[in-house]
Amino acid sequence: MDRCSREDSMTTRVQTSVIVPLFNEAQTVGALVEAVRAAMSQGPEWELILVDDGSGDDTAVAAAQACARYPDHVRLVRLARNYGQTAALQAGFDEAGGAIVVSMDGDLQNDPADVPALLAKLDEGYDLVVGYRVRRRDRLLTRRIPSWIANRIIQRITGVRIRDNGCSLKAYRRELLERVRLYSDMHRFIPAIAAGAAGARIAEIPVRHHPRRFGTSKYGLSRIGAVLADLLVVKMVRSFRDRPLALFSVGALLALAAAAVFGAAGTVSILAMRRGEGVTLVFPAAALMFVGLSVYLLFLGLIAELAVREQLSRPGIRGPLLHGEIG
Amino acid sequence: MRHGSESDRALEGETVASSGTGPWVSVIVPVTERPEPLVGLYWEYAAALQTAGYRFEFLFVTDPAYRAMTEPLAALVKAGEPIRVYTVGQSSSDGALLTAAIGECRAPVVVTLPSYRRVTAEGIPQLIRRVSEGADLAVARRWPRQDSLLNRLQTSAFHALLRWLTHSTIEDIACGVRAARREVLAEVPMHGDFYRFLPLVAQRDGYRVEQVDVAQHPAERRTRLYGPGTYLRRLIDVLGLAFLLRFTQKPLRFFGLIGSAACLAGSSVLFVLFVQRLQGRPLADRPLLLLGMLFLVLGVQFIALGLIGEIIVHLHSPGWRPYRIREGGVPAAAA
Repeated sequence: MDRCSREDSMTTRVQTSVIVPLFNEAQTVGALVEAVRAAMSQGPEWELILVDDGSGDDTAVAAAQACARYPDHVRLVRLARNYGQTAALQAGFDEAGGAIVVSMDGDLQNDPADVPALLAKLDEGYDLVVGYRVRRRDRLLTRRIPSWIANRIIQRITGVRIRDNGCSLKAYRRELLERVRLYSDMHRFIPAIAAGAAGARIAEIPVRHHPRRFGTSKYGLSRIGAVLADLLVVKMVRSFRDRPLALFSVGALLALAAAAVFGAAGTVSILAMRRGEGVTLVFPAAALMFVGLSVYLLFLGLIAELAVREQLSRPGIRGPLLHGEIG
Repeated sequence: MRHGSESDRALEGETVASSGTGPWVSVIVPVTERPEPLVGLYWEYAAALQTAGYRFEFLFVTDPAYRAMTEPLAALVKAGEPIRVYTVGQSSSDGALLTAAIGECRAPVVVTLPSYRRVTAEGIPQLIRRVSEGADLAVARRWPRQDSLLNRLQTSAFHALLRWLTHSTIEDIACGVRAARREVLAEVPMHGDFYRFLPLVAQRDGYRVEQVDVAQHPAERRTRLYGPGTYLRRLIDVLGLAFLLRFTQKPLRFFGLIGSAACLAGSSVLFVLFVQRLQGRPLADRPLLLLGMLFLVLGVQFIALGLIGEIIVHLHSPGWRPYRIREGGVPAAAA
C-alpha cells in the first residue's frame, strides 16, 4: 500500500533490469551499485533493483543511500521478512520493468563487468544465458567438491546440461520469466525449469569469480536432503505436468508386476503342498497387497489428472516459448 | 506510526457515531460458544475506551444459533450507542464471522474481542497503543494468570505442544483479544479454526506481531473444563497448522521424509529375510515378509501423495507471490 509505482522513479523506458537479492550485505551494497553502474552505463537504459530479503543488519540503510545517489536507476524493494533467495529473486522478477532481466549475487563474488557479455550472448537468440564460474574462489572441500557433485547429479536427472547451476549470474528474456514461477527453494534449478516448463534456449558463458571480500557465505553443506527432494520435484513436474496419469500408471504397473511374482510364488507353494499340511498364506497376502497398491496408484493418477486438467485449461496459462531462427 | 497518522487524516471527513476525539477504533465481537450478557460486556469495554479517549464502534457478529443473545443490544442501538449487529446466514466459526465483519469496519485499527470477558477492559487501550506505535498485530497475553491450577496446566501443555511443533513465540494464543491494522486482518487468512492461530500465520506472512501483557479478567477465575471433542479438535488444529506453516510450498519434503523412512524400514526387513533365504530358510512361512511389504507399500503411497501435493502446488504457483513487500519503489524510503 505504501509502494510507489515504477513510473514515479523511473521516467525513461527501461530495457535491462538488474536484480540483486541482498541478505546482510550492508558492507558490499555501495561497491556493488558502483560496479553495476560502471558496467551498465554504456548500454541501453537500465535499472538496478535491490531486493532486501529481511536483512538483520544495515543493508536497507546502505541500499537506500545508494538509491538516493542514483534515483533514476536504482530502486530498493524491502521484503517483510527473510523469505530466502528464491522468493527474493521472484520479487525482483516481479518488480523488474525491462525486457531483459539480469540476476546476480549481492556479495560481489560475481563481477557486474560480465553483464555486457551476457547480454550480447542473449542477443544471439537465446532465452536464458547462464554464467559458469571459471577458477572458483571458494573453499575446496565444503563448497567446490559438493557443488561439482551436485551439478553432475542435476545434469543427470534433469537432462539439462549446465556446468554450474550454483552461479547466480544469469540473463533472462521477459517472455521466459512470464512462464516460470519460483517458489520453495527452486532457484537452484532455474535452467532445468526454464527448459522444462517453457522450452527455453539456454546458453552458457564463462564468468569471473572473486573471493568474498566481506561477510560470510550463507550456504553450507546442510541442505543436501532438501535439494534432493526439490530435484525430484523439478524432474516430476517437468516430465509429468501434462500427463500425470502416465507417471502413476508406471508405478501401478510395477506394483502389478510385483503382485504377479508373489502370485506365482503363492501358486507354486500351494501346488507343491502336501496333504495334511496347513496352507501358508504369506505369498498370496503379499500379492494382494501389491494389487492394492497398484489400484491405489492408478486412482491417485486419476486425481492428479483431474487437478492438472482443471488448472491448465484455465485462460491465461501460457504455452511454451516460440522460437524463430537463430540469426 | 506512519499508518496510523495517514489513516486518521483520511478519515477526518467521515461521520463518527461515537463521542471522543482521539484515534478511531472498530471492535468486532464474534458471538459464539459461551457468550455472556452482551449489554454488560459492551458497557464495560466501551467505558474503558471512552476513558482512554478513543472514538469507537462495536460490531457484534453472530450466526443463527446465537442470534437471541444479541437481541438486548437493540435497545442500545436505539439509544444511539455506536453499535452494529450482524447475523450471518449459516452456522459459522469465529474466523468466518470475523472475516465477514472485517469488511464492515470503518476504523483503521480493529480490535477483536471474544464474547466472554478474558482480559480487563483497561487492557484494550494498551493493545491499541502498541498498534499505533507500529505493530501490525498486538496480541494480548493474560498475565498474571488468575485462573485455576487446572486451567493453567491445560494452557501450558497446549503451548508447549505448539512451541514444539511450530516454534511459536506467542505465549497465549487462545486469548483471542487482539488489535491490528485493518489491512492485516483483511489479508491474513482466518478460515476455519485458524482464527485462533492468527498471530502465527501473520508472523509467517512477515507481519510485525507483538505480545502485550494485560490483566486477566476476574470472571475467568472459575475452572473451565471442555468435552473430549474440544481437546481433540485443538490437537488436530495444531497438527494441521504445523504442516501448513512449514510445508505449504513443499509437501514432498514432509511426505517424502515419512515415506522414505517407511520404505527404508520395509526394505531392511526384506533384506534380512532375503539373506536368511539364501542361507536356506524358506520364505513361505515367514509372516515378517508381510510386515516388510506393508512398510514398503505404505512408503510408496506416502511419496505418491507427496507428489500429488507438489503437482497441486506447482499448478497454483502462477497465481501467488511467495513473498510480501514491506516497502519499495521509493528511493530513500528507508533513510
